Amino acid sequence: MTAKRLRSGGKIDRDKILNFTWDGQELEGYSGDTLASALVANNRRIIGRSFKYHRPRGITSSGVEESGAIVTVGKGARKEVNVRATTQELYHGLTATGQNAWPNVRFDFGSISNYFSKFLGAGFYYKTFMGIPPFEWGRGTKIWMFYEKYIRKAAGMGAASREPDPDNYEHAHGFCDVAIIGSGPAGLAAALELSKTNQDVMLIEQDFELGGDYLNYDSKSEDLARILLKINKSNIRIMKRTTAFGAYDHGTLGLLERVGDHLSTPLNYLPRHRFWTIRAKRIILATGAIERHFAFSNNDIPGIMTASSARTYLNRYGILSGEHIVISTNNDSAYIVSQELKKAGANVTLLDARASIPNHLKKKITGEGIELISSAAVSEAVGPSWVSKIKFAKLIDDKWINQGEKSCDLLLISGGWSPVINLISHRGSKAIWDERDCCFLPGHSEEAIDLIGSARGIWRIDDCVKSGINIKHALDKNKIALSKSYKVTENKGWENPIIPLYEVDISNKKSFVDLQHDVTTQDIRVAHQEGFVSVEHLKRYTTLGMATDQGKTGNVIGIALMAKALNATVTNVGTTTFRPPYTPISLGALAGRNTNDHFRPLRRTPMDDWNLANSAVMTHAGLWRRPWYFPVNGENISQSYIREARTTRNKVGLCDVTSLGKIAIQGPDATEFLNRVYTNPFAKLPINKARYGIMLRDDGIVLDDGTTWRLSETDYFMTTTTANAARVVSWLEELLQVRWNTLKVHITSVTDQWAGCAIAGPLSRKVLEKCVKDSDCVSNENLPFMGITSTFLFNDIPCRIARISFSGEMASEIYVPSDYGHVLMEILWEAAESLGGCLYGLEALGAMRIEKGHVTGAELDGRVTLEDAGLVKMASTKKDFIGSALRKRPEMIKAGRPQLVGIFPEDINATFNAGSIICDESNLNGHGEGWVTAVTYSPVFNHWIGIGFISGGYQNWQNKVAVAADPIRDKETRVKIVSPYMYDPEGKRHYG
Amino acid sequence: MGNADNNRMSALGRYYVKGHYGNKESNNIIFEEIESLVLFQVAFWPDTVSKVEKILNSELGIKKIPKPGSSIINSSASVIRVEPLKIWVTAKLEEDTSKADTPILDLSHSRTNLIIHGNDATKLLNRFLPIDLRENSFGIGAVASTMFHHVGITLWRTERGYHLFLPRGFSLSLFELLKKGAKQFGLQIK
Repeated sequence: MTAKRLRSGGKIDRDKILNFTWDGQELEGYSGDTLASALVANNRRIIGRSFKYHRPRGITSSGVEESGAIVTVGKGARKEVNVRATTQELYHGLTATGQNAWPNVRFDFGSISNYFSKFLGAGFYYKTFMGIPPFEWGRGTKIWMFYEKYIRKAAGMGAASREPDPDNYEHAHGFCDVAIIGSGPAGLAAALELSKTNQDVMLIEQDFELGGDYLNYDSKSEDLARILLKINKSNIRIMKRTTAFGAYDHGTLGLLERVGDHLSTPLNYLPRHRFWTIRAKRIILATGAIERHFAFSNNDIPGIMTASSARTYLNRYGILSGEHIVISTNNDSAYIVSQELKKAGANVTLLDARASIPNHLKKKITGEGIELISSAAVSEAVGPSWVSKIKFAKLIDDKWINQGEKSCDLLLISGGWSPVINLISHRGSKAIWDERDCCFLPGHSEEAIDLIGSARGIWRIDDCVKSGINIKHALDKNKIALSKSYKVTENKGWENPIIPLYEVDISNKKSFVDLQHDVTTQDIRVAHQEGFVSVEHLKRYTTLGMATDQGKTGNVIGIALMAKALNATVTNVGTTTFRPPYTPISLGALAGRNTNDHFRPLRRTPMDDWNLANSAVMTHAGLWRRPWYFPVNGENISQSYIREARTTRNKVGLCDVTSLGKIAIQGPDATEFLNRVYTNPFAKLPINKARYGIMLRDDGIVLDDGTTWRLSETDYFMTTTTANAARVVSWLEELLQVRWNTLKVHITSVTDQWAGCAIAGPLSRKVLEKCVKDSDCVSNENLPFMGITSTFLFNDIPCRIARISFSGEMASEIYVPSDYGHVLMEILWEAAESLGGCLYGLEALGAMRIEKGHVTGAELDGRVTLEDAGLVKMASTKKDFIGSALRKRPEMIKAGRPQLVGIFPEDINATFNAGSIICDESNLNGHGEGWVTAVTYSPVFNHWIGIGFISGGYQNWQNKVAVAADPIRDKETRVKIVSPYMYDPEGKRHYG
Repeated sequence: MGNADNNRMSALGRYYVKGHYGNKESNNIIFEEIESLVLFQVAFWPDTVSKVEKILNSELGIKKIPKPGSSIINSSASVIRVEPLKIWVTAKLEEDTSKADTPILDLSHSRTNLIIHGNDATKLLNRFLPIDLRENSFGIGAVASTMFHHVGITLWRTERGYHLFLPRGFSLSLFELLKKGAKQFGLQIK
């Protein structure tokens, strides 16, 4: 090929030279180039290797439909595979390489697979590696599972970087009255018209230049400049380098903005990609159309591209892509291309499959020295690595007959145009096959989506502009609804009819339908022969349309060939379902900034910094970050939590319990509300008293537990488990808003308002006495078990204290407004440390609650009743409450249900695991008799203990040995079942 | 409460470091934190609106409850209608004025109040918030509950800028995200 950059012309800036590297070679391009145009200008021919057969591939287009020049851009951590060279903006320092080839795309050892291609047709993997008797022995997928990993390893194109992505990505939301997708002649006209009506218009363009098809015209440069001047003066919001990849409910669009893909040096404060969610009152699709190729022998070899792309390279990038050019077409659009290429200095031959060509067209072409051959189409390209000549054929009696050859260095194909209707099709609009124009047109939509320009089958540029201008009539006074009288234009379709042309089948050589996935015409026929005739089956059997180009050029050909095989119409065959994304989206953009530390929002307690400063090792409890343990002198976790639990039981310990859910319940009917929600009575709870309460779901299963403090006649402070806080708030709101909307109650989450600390251990009162302003208020008389008080710390910070215990020791929980959390810890720790106390974390808290037999989320897992948890005494018999009826269903109260128990190892030196199944020692199979929910080393018993559930409960298992079986970790431990209240069952210690 | 207020520590604490961040050529985002926030909630029911208005009038000189999604701003305090039957007041209300049918709740420590202003404040917020912040949809005085990285927050717009009421526990995490997003516009933390 002798492609050359012309000395003038195009929209590139020849004063700005950009150096880049292709497959290790230093090359030059210009500002305004794409990687593809720069490669064409530098006469680089083989750009890629095909997916399956490793056949050489060149540049086949100039846009998003590219299926040949699929390359790897960047290096190191910024290496990105499967980039379309045609849409990659050139920048100084760009590094690109070919992919799916070794050692390089020009000479690829993998091309040996082409010689075995007869065996690698559609369904090869399924037929060869799945269940072929006698190897499969009737077991289904065993052999497939063996081969699959090797097949997967061989599949794919390019190798992504294994390094962490160094770039940032972000999400964004946008709102507008009208979103116009595409800035070609129709889109620009619509944007200008609508901006005059004071509408808030967003103009979205996937290219780095506005103009669309205007950019492909040499003669329209001034028109475009004039329009862009008006656009820039208007209030239209312009988004370049932004692809609308999907349309969703209620005018929502998904966009991908490539913010940094064109920058030589990424700026660390800019994201690489931005993922937009746009909500538009109205969407106008000016997405244009894509030129198709058709199938003929060797139609994939480098040197073959669509006719319009040669025009783009000429008029936009100032490149004449070949000297001796053959164009094969079935429609009018190639004529202007042939004229312009001829004018630029090429020798051009035009093959038109149509027998009837209007005289004025013929005259125009031949008068300019272009050879025109009617009723003809290319039948074979001759290579091997670059087209050097073509054979052409004529259709005689419905059969293609070879007529001759033509030498050439570039073959251009125009097999018709496919309107880009993907976005409206995402909304469920069924594409309609237009026999006259040989393309799918947009179907009906009830939504506020319109199409203008070529996207609705309008081919002439002036008519496209008119369709854009006329869109203003689509909007009624509300500027949303479609006016019934609105008609875009009558001037649709071709002036001179197109004829169907999908395949010229003469030789047995490969002719491709889907170039990127190596799907051939033969594959379509095999699918038909084997019964995969539904278009959805055809797609999955052959992988037609599954590559990154999503069948933008190949699908129509595949569907037409299947229709022919079925002796049906294209309408009968139909299309596969259009799904987002229209073009590939980076995974980084989907994640946005929600990665690493921000994968989930981190919730910190007001004591977070204080805990860290006091050597806490932290862990996550839901979204909260909480102290796990506080090691001293190099302790490991076991040494630390055992010491913390022992110190707490013997002296005193402090634990940050801010994460407990806290809910203010206020209003005249607050007491009645609580009485209905909790299983136990609250009507007579005195002011300044707290009560442990349990709430059930409607079905009688335990939802959550916690304490509720009565602050006044109509004001309560409820605490919930950390895990269920949000769920309980939602539940209470639902009850108030849906079921009991006559109750005057307001609930408000005050979890963030209060910082809390548990003070546990026999010296806990002494700590409190040192910290509060009036030590009398925390005496046993004034603050008995389950008593509460509102008072002040000695430095005037207000606080609430309740005498409640989760550890089983005499304990209190003290709460201060959150901004004082760090002060609270300073004061408490000074007092506790002086008494030989400790700080303790979640691990010690867990150990003590297991010893005590207190339940948490591990036990209240959505399957447990009050009876199961040993809490049946909490169910009032004198009132109704949520769940009170359904908890009495026979299955819920039948004897033998698993009940809460304690678990000791038979050999006190043995350990066992949480999650183990508890089995009868005589039957270690099946689901067993129960399960272990939590285990710990018990500082009290000096051996491992556990808590869990077993059929019939403790009473049923006295004097029996069970086995804690953990088949996953291959461990079995003989255990004894004991009362769940393993430590201080009478509760003497927490009464003090 | 004596001098207890002097001991208040913001959730942003030592992470709120004043200075310029990101794009050095611009200064289009400004963060300001309202430290020692005063925020009281008054709840009511349809038949107790007049009682609330009486409280507001006597305490703040504000005669009407603002409409849902809006606020009333005066020199002494602002009243923000955050829910159909709940208002927030940016001034201290004596809790002994709390009655059964007009319950008052101190939420001063429950939220971090970050003000974001500057030429690109709207753009920055829409990097995270899925609500329409265009002037005709969310003008001065507007208030909305919305989601920020799955966390419920309250957004209020005044002449001063956008006020974000961030749940205290999440506020540092959300502040870090805002800061990262703001660097592209040039961020000034005041």
